[in-house]
Amino acid sequence: MELASRFADFFVILVTLLSDPANWVVLMGASILGIVFGALPGLTATLGVALLTTLTYGMPLDTALIALLGLYVGAIYGGSFPSILINIPGTAASAATAMDGYPMAQRGEGARALGLSTTASFLGTVIGMLCLVAIAPIIANFALKFTSYEFFLLALFGIVISGTLTSTDLVYKGWISGLLGLALACIGRDRLQFFPRFTFDLSVLESGIEVVPVLIGAFGIPQIIRVLSDGEVLARPKNFGRILPELKTISANFKHIVRSAMIGVGIGSVPGVGEDIAGWVSYGAARNTSKHPERFGRGEPAGLVSSETANNSCIGGALIPLLTLGIPGSPPAAMLLGALMLHGVNPGPMIGFERPGFLLEVTAILLLASFAMWINGMLLARQVVRLLAVPASIFLPIVALMCVLGSYALGLNMVNLYLMVPMGIVAYLLVRMEYPIAPLVIGVILGPMADENLRRALMVSDGSLVPFFTRPVALILVTVIVLTLLSQVPFVRRLTGRLIGVIGHVFKRGTGS
Amino acid sequence: MKRLITLASVGLWSLGLVTLAGTAAADYPERDITNVVVWSAGGGTDVSNRIISAEMEQFLPVRINVTNKPGGVAGSIGMSYVHGRPADGYTIVGLSESCVTAGVQGGWDQKMDVWYPFIVGGSPDLISVTADAPYQNLKELVEAARSNPGSIKAAASGAGSIHHLNLLALMKGTGAQMSFIPYAGSAPAQNAAMTGEVSVVVTSLAEQQQLLKGGKLRALGMLVPDAFTVDGVGDIPSAFTAYPELSEHLPISQAIGMAVRNDVPDEVKTVLSDAFTKALATDKVKQWAADNYYVLSGKTGDAASEEFARLESLFAWTLHDLGAAKLDPSTLGIAKP
Repeated sequence: MELASRFADFFVILVTLLSDPANWVVLMGASILGIVFGALPGLTATLGVALLTTLTYGMPLDTALIALLGLYVGAIYGGSFPSILINIPGTAASAATAMDGYPMAQRGEGARALGLSTTASFLGTVIGMLCLVAIAPIIANFALKFTSYEFFLLALFGIVISGTLTSTDLVYKGWISGLLGLALACIGRDRLQFFPRFTFDLSVLESGIEVVPVLIGAFGIPQIIRVLSDGEVLARPKNFGRILPELKTISANFKHIVRSAMIGVGIGSVPGVGEDIAGWVSYGAARNTSKHPERFGRGEPAGLVSSETANNSCIGGALIPLLTLGIPGSPPAAMLLGALMLHGVNPGPMIGFERPGFLLEVTAILLLASFAMWINGMLLARQVVRLLAVPASIFLPIVALMCVLGSYALGLNMVNLYLMVPMGIVAYLLVRMEYPIAPLVIGVILGPMADENLRRALMVSDGSLVPFFTRPVALILVTVIVLTLLSQVPFVRRLTGRLIGVIGHVFKRGTGS
Repeated sequence: MKRLITLASVGLWSLGLVTLAGTAAADYPERDITNVVVWSAGGGTDVSNRIISAEMEQFLPVRINVTNKPGGVAGSIGMSYVHGRPADGYTIVGLSESCVTAGVQGGWDQKMDVWYPFIVGGSPDLISVTADAPYQNLKELVEAARSNPGSIKAAASGAGSIHHLNLLALMKGTGAQMSFIPYAGSAPAQNAAMTGEVSVVVTSLAEQQQLLKGGKLRALGMLVPDAFTVDGVGDIPSAFTAYPELSEHLPISQAIGMAVRNDVPDEVKTVLSDAFTKALATDKVKQWAADNYYVLSGKTGDAASEEFARLESLFAWTLHDLGAAKLDPSTLGIAKP
């Protein structure tokens, strides 16, 4: 009953927003800007929201929100373009998309992959939005189950799962790559006691390693070298194919879409964890539940759909703690909080009383943003695929230039370039030795979170590890991590295989007699 | 005749030069001003600088473009950048009290006296407990902490932050021993209090007001001499009322604001001070301050420099005592508080 009246209010707000033509212009403009930000390596959703915050200062609140959310949704989706077409993720959030998107494009199904990622992103955003309007209080309470113990375990899980999923030959290589990322993340002043670590007395290292130059260096440079020198064939542009995905593919992947959206909302709602990790966890879940796990990493549409649905549904998830508790759920949401405060809105538990209807307004804008993203995405996809017709020897140097600009654009700081180039060379050598690179980047992103929360957890418990096993959510995470690790150890695999065989044998004999 | 022409031309030239020189000084600002905020977009310093800059534009013939240059130690990258620009008043820096530690942490080799600051103000700190904590007022908390030192866990942002300094001062002034659990900012610290990881939290009223109104946290005392009234929460007494000896250690207030190089022409200082003072008096700024529980300071010039010098000495020596300072503050000529 109450839900019905909420939906009625929702449509009133929607119509009011749409009645102003200025809102249409802002919505489409921000959405395209977001897609461009997401697609260009180095320009992130967080940076985009930050820049737009200044521009929207003078606008009315609802128009400003349309601009900011339109850009946020567009940017998270836009990262999938370069992931699919050239295997260089535009943002860390779409790194898992490259796993199956790029092989699809190499097979000549680039257009189909883009169409699928657009539709999956759209559905993800809409499901995230529905969760925001329907079950925000429940999700917010879930987010409050996370203390330092759980944050540490979640970060560790993100690194372990990306290491497990990306290894092509030995799974240990993925974990080693993740550990390298963790080691890099230790550089700089630690955020708890402000102690300098591995800074070698260089003041430029004090603030630590920036994620963006690592992301660009580690993904971009090896790919550029590989294509230009080793003659790896980039996606074939011959067959543009159909962009609009067949209803059949969408309905066949329906269970992946729903599961991934739920994972995205859950991870988005946990403060400080965002789109980066949601894509990987959802990709892993899809592979583990699939009947054909061997197809993943070779251009399986389900993998692409899972990662893209999850990173976009994260947006709705991240807005839940932001609007109900005043705690941003992801880095771009943190920027959004600043923008809201600039407009005199203080999100928090009292927002429902101070500004009734605000939550619904945000939801309505999110819906508009996802439609704008879908339309723009479909229009852009066909043109973007044509870029591959440009010879790699011309196209990739331009990409390389973009990488340099992207690294430098972040804070206009030369240090980021000094970091990006060696990072890229090290990454190239690792790739040559068949070490996956994604876990290293995830390690750099989640490293500070793992480090800080583990040490804080031990401070809170006076050095005891017991709470890791007595807190319910922590125990679940510990179990999942241990199982993930053990399931990859050959000895344990053989043992469980034999155990299942023995049980099966006993069972057969039991029923037979 | 020739002489007359020479005289006239000399006269004209000198007249031209004089007016040129005159306009050069009188016409500041003649092009847009850039405000470089040393913290990232969306934070308290950034929001304040954007609002004040927008209001200052009304009293200046040019625009003030706000950009961000975060990074380094305590905003050192942004401060070094602005300090390296010409002393013409066209580049100003948006900073806060936390920047005063850049020197002792080795971020740069300057003291805060290189700036001519304008202080907007800040939101006062307060101490709160989780809604289900047994402590109804500050006395009960302090008694519990005294009788069982170190058993109560108190959250605040990282070591050496303003909120940590407030917590340290409170413990020093009341003799309560709590164990400090550091967080990466005020929002995670408050989140930890809501999840029950800690029972005490020190952040600013602006950051906490929503949670106080929503009944998620219970305010025990303001860490400033004045009591505050928050709609829907009621009066929050000053901690000084129960523990007058706190006045020896507190208040340690935020000093969010902006600054220009101290060696800019006096003309620039006058023009900017004037626009700044007028901007702080506008209804929009007053309303924004009231909505966000900011206390406006409005200090400029010597008064503002004095404030920053006091904060610099306090922060630098506290970090030194914590073992977190890279340089001995005395080597930079920072006096003990």
